[in-house]
Amino acid sequence: MKRSHTMKKTIIFIICIILSILSILPFLIMIVNSTRSTVEIQQHALSLIPSGYLASNFKVLVGKSFNPLVGFMNSLIISVLTTILATYFSTLTAYVLVIYEWKLRDALYRFILAVMMIPAQITMIGFYQMVYKVHMTNHLSMLILPAIASPAMVFYMRQYMIPALNKEIVQSARIDGAREFYIFNRIVLPIMKPAIATQAIFCFVSSWNNLFTPLVLLTDQRKYTLPIMVSLLRGDIYKTEYGAVYLGLTLTALPLIIAYLCLSRYIVAGVALGSVKG
Amino acid sequence: MRKKVISMLLTAAMTCTMFAGCGSETGGESVKDTSKTAEAESNTSEQDDGQAQTITPKEGGKSGTLNLWAFTDEVPGMVQKYIEAHPDFPYQVSSTIIATTDGAYQPALDAALKAGGKDSPDIYCAESAFVLKYTKGDMEQYAIPYEDLGIDVDKETKDADIAQYTIDIGTNSDGKLDALGYQATGGAFIYRRSIAKDVFGTDDPEEISQIIGGGSGNFDKFWEAAEKLAAKGDAIVSGDGDIWHAVENSSEEGWLTSDGKLQIDPKREAFLDISKNLTDKGWSNVTQDWQDAWFADMKGTGPKPVFGFFGPAWLINYTIAKNCGGEKTGEGTYGDWAVCDSPVGFFWGGTWILANKEMDEEKKAAVRDIIDWITLQTDEDSLQYKWANGTLNGEGGTKDAVASGTVMSKSDGSMDFLGGQNMFDYFVPANQYANGKNLTQYDESINQIWRDQVRAYASGQKSREDAIRDFKQTVSDNLGIEAAD
Amino acid sequence: MKARHSRYAKYGYIFSIPFAAAFVIFSLYPTLYTAIIGFTDLQGIGTTEFHFLKDPFLNFRTILTSPTFQTAFCNTVKIWVLNFIPQLFLALLLAAWFTDRRFRVPGEGIFKVLFYMPNIITAATIAILFNALFGYPMGPVNDVLTRIGIFSAPYNFLVNKNIAQDIVIFIQTWMWYGYTMIILISGILGINPEIFEAAEVDGASGWQTFWLVTLPNIKTILLYTMITSLIGGLNMFDIPKLFLMGGPDNATLTTGVFIYNQAFSGAYMYNRAAAASMIMFVIIVLASILLFWLLRDRDEEALKKLQRKREKEMRRACRVGRKAEEAEK
Repeated sequence: MKRSHTMKKTIIFIICIILSILSILPFLIMIVNSTRSTVEIQQHALSLIPSGYLASNFKVLVGKSFNPLVGFMNSLIISVLTTILATYFSTLTAYVLVIYEWKLRDALYRFILAVMMIPAQITMIGFYQMVYKVHMTNHLSMLILPAIASPAMVFYMRQYMIPALNKEIVQSARIDGAREFYIFNRIVLPIMKPAIATQAIFCFVSSWNNLFTPLVLLTDQRKYTLPIMVSLLRGDIYKTEYGAVYLGLTLTALPLIIAYLCLSRYIVAGVALGSVKG
Repeated sequence: MRKKVISMLLTAAMTCTMFAGCGSETGGESVKDTSKTAEAESNTSEQDDGQAQTITPKEGGKSGTLNLWAFTDEVPGMVQKYIEAHPDFPYQVSSTIIATTDGAYQPALDAALKAGGKDSPDIYCAESAFVLKYTKGDMEQYAIPYEDLGIDVDKETKDADIAQYTIDIGTNSDGKLDALGYQATGGAFIYRRSIAKDVFGTDDPEEISQIIGGGSGNFDKFWEAAEKLAAKGDAIVSGDGDIWHAVENSSEEGWLTSDGKLQIDPKREAFLDISKNLTDKGWSNVTQDWQDAWFADMKGTGPKPVFGFFGPAWLINYTIAKNCGGEKTGEGTYGDWAVCDSPVGFFWGGTWILANKEMDEEKKAAVRDIIDWITLQTDEDSLQYKWANGTLNGEGGTKDAVASGTVMSKSDGSMDFLGGQNMFDYFVPANQYANGKNLTQYDESINQIWRDQVRAYASGQKSREDAIRDFKQTVSDNLGIEAAD
Repeated sequence: MKARHSRYAKYGYIFSIPFAAAFVIFSLYPTLYTAIIGFTDLQGIGTTEFHFLKDPFLNFRTILTSPTFQTAFCNTVKIWVLNFIPQLFLALLLAAWFTDRRFRVPGEGIFKVLFYMPNIITAATIAILFNALFGYPMGPVNDVLTRIGIFSAPYNFLVNKNIAQDIVIFIQTWMWYGYTMIILISGILGINPEIFEAAEVDGASGWQTFWLVTLPNIKTILLYTMITSLIGGLNMFDIPKLFLMGGPDNATLTTGVFIYNQAFSGAYMYNRAAAASMIMFVIIVLASILLFWLLRDRDEEALKKLQRKREKEMRRACRVGRKAEEAEK
């Protein structure tokens, strides 16, 4: 019994190690190659020893209209504002669904359930035409404001709020004379902090990684987000600049990798939390 | 806790690999492949705290910003030189560069032109594969005729002796000139001297021309040469893409009939068989142009040694020379190349320059100065003169054939890379072959679809009929153009 | 009590205004607009004016009969199915190991973190990275395979239709198995431990426990994972678009890429793209209905069921009574 357990454990451990290598290796190759010259990469594309061409690769990269800083700033603006709007208004909407007894409450909840899985991508033609008509393409706000209505997040917030928020707290605050808006901001939001943190991470990541909407709406290079910048690396101006391409990929992935490894505990726990329903 | 420590370690490790690269940076040594234009560009973009690439004149630049759209850094590099020579130029120039690969440039440019406003392009570039869309196709209404900028078109094109196909392509449906290029892109055959000596016993361009049927108008002798090369284990070309450009521009009809239906010219249809032969008989390395393997053949490191490439002068300097694996004679394939006549005449590529009709009135003079300098002037300070002689970025730069016959006649195209041969001897006559009559505005998209299907047929993945059927279907799906029959 | 509630009811309306407004402007209107465009002649860059077609379903017919759309749809389904099966298998296996009560896998926490990592990285970056990894002739994969002697010469993976498709499937699996695994683990940890204890007492083997206890208890989560993955899969865009632009010969063309190509490149056929979007919309709505049904409020549903059951019983009782009466007659 004991022996077979050790055997099994060893096999499982080896499989896990292999899968881990599979997870890390592509990124490792990417990072190492971003420090190697094109000539070195052409000789041997796989190496785990960094070389000394990081700076010259960077020169080539930014010399061809790839501007990681601009992309980074735009992505940051969009992701931060999207996250703030989405979490705040989703919590507010969830609050509406949990606390107030009003006629359309059940209807709204059912509606949210019904539409929460419909991806924005599928209605992009109409969205593009609408935005185009009012001359708002190239406005980052068009990528941010839709986050106010995030049905899936409302659903999650409601699930969390039902057990977490004691209605009596709200009642007693009312008796103390607090206004409804004040109660929400000062009492409900702090209670919802753990849920907000979890959702914020995912909202941020998915907004940061979004390619489709910016690709359709943004034509002005100064408004490009990081994923669009990445897509430029496929262009033939980089065809022979392997080092620069790897560096461009690294610049977009490394901040995420670092942030992820630092926050991994919360993120993995958050994924688990987000799924427990019904 | 342990988990946290290990994740921190991982983070640290990954960051370290980055900085390890930094630390061992070897002083002044710069990457070999960095082209001159790229270096010049990165110099200016730095002062600009990371915004889109803006070129600011030393003393001028007070009047606002001109927006320049291009698909390579070539024209932005020229404009930079122009502004360096004219420090009082009244505008800053902001360049947007989007590569044409996979068709990303056109949608972005179209949207920017449509959107209008202060960020819309003032000057924009178009490649031969889609320039017609902007001069006489769907986007024609956005281009301003050169004469409306204040250019005396008739006189200047005559004085500069601009190649006729350049003018044909740049003329809009009212017969006015909307666009001109600076390059001449008539094509020749560019071959390896060492392989020529080994297989044919000579590397003399005249004799090799004879052997491959240069100027004969068909590929018969070329295939005979291919067999001789194959017998020695060499491939005559790298992939079918090399032959495509010769086929494309030498066919009588373009992709569209006069009423806008899709047609396949017999010469273009025959490309299916050519491609299949190249694959089946081992006459090529079955590469795809602009892919790594294609570049490897320029260096001579592909599976089989490759005899030559079809191309205009720019292919030599901007592609073959950059990928030959060396920088002086003896290194890589540097100096082992020569140019001779192509069996069939063709042209490949070229950049045309247009200006936006909607631009502010006061910008027009500045736009005219830039366009005139690039496309029509012929003196020693003009772009084309410097371009032809490789002096735009200082002495010893890359040389290229240019649109102005006047400039070509006073320029010297001899290069060490070609073993001292004067390439203009072959490229000047090559330009007379070129004609712009069989182009359509959808060429870039349709060519891509056609070449995909040809590749599928040649590799044996589908039958000839299926390939043609799928081609017509995809064109209809992607472009809404139905087949003629 | 009732009166007190209605005093606050107005806040229900007021506080849902931002959500409702944003939803109407940014979701509902575009959806309806997309649907309308599907029936029009709206084509060409920058065009905003349109006319309804004489034959209202022309675009829908064109799309449904288009072999390219059919290919794209088949590819999408195929890529999803072939990525979901190994993804689920791997996730289940790992989840079973990581939740096994009899032993702990050393480094479990780190493995979880690493398996999930690809999911967090920008898909656009991953697509282009894999394009580079499988480069020909000098990409890292070819470099390894030729150096250790598996291949004698580099192989051009990306022009082979099947291999290109397989790589996309691999990328999808690789990006998502960690996510699925974590969700399944949380589902398994949510099962009442007494059930496992009972199984152990009954002498069930590891496999038996897994098949007979674990799996039936995470049925809902499995379905949830499947439907969300299906909807995500039907919209697959970033990877196929940037990995090989849908090629070679449409082998990695998905409906998402097809719609994008129709609308935003080439001839800008917004109407056809809208029709294709709506077709996908209907499919996704069907999947959503399934999910809706799955996540419906259990307590409420149970109550209703109970009520129905009681009504049924009463009716049956009545019937029995009536029958008895008739029999008596």
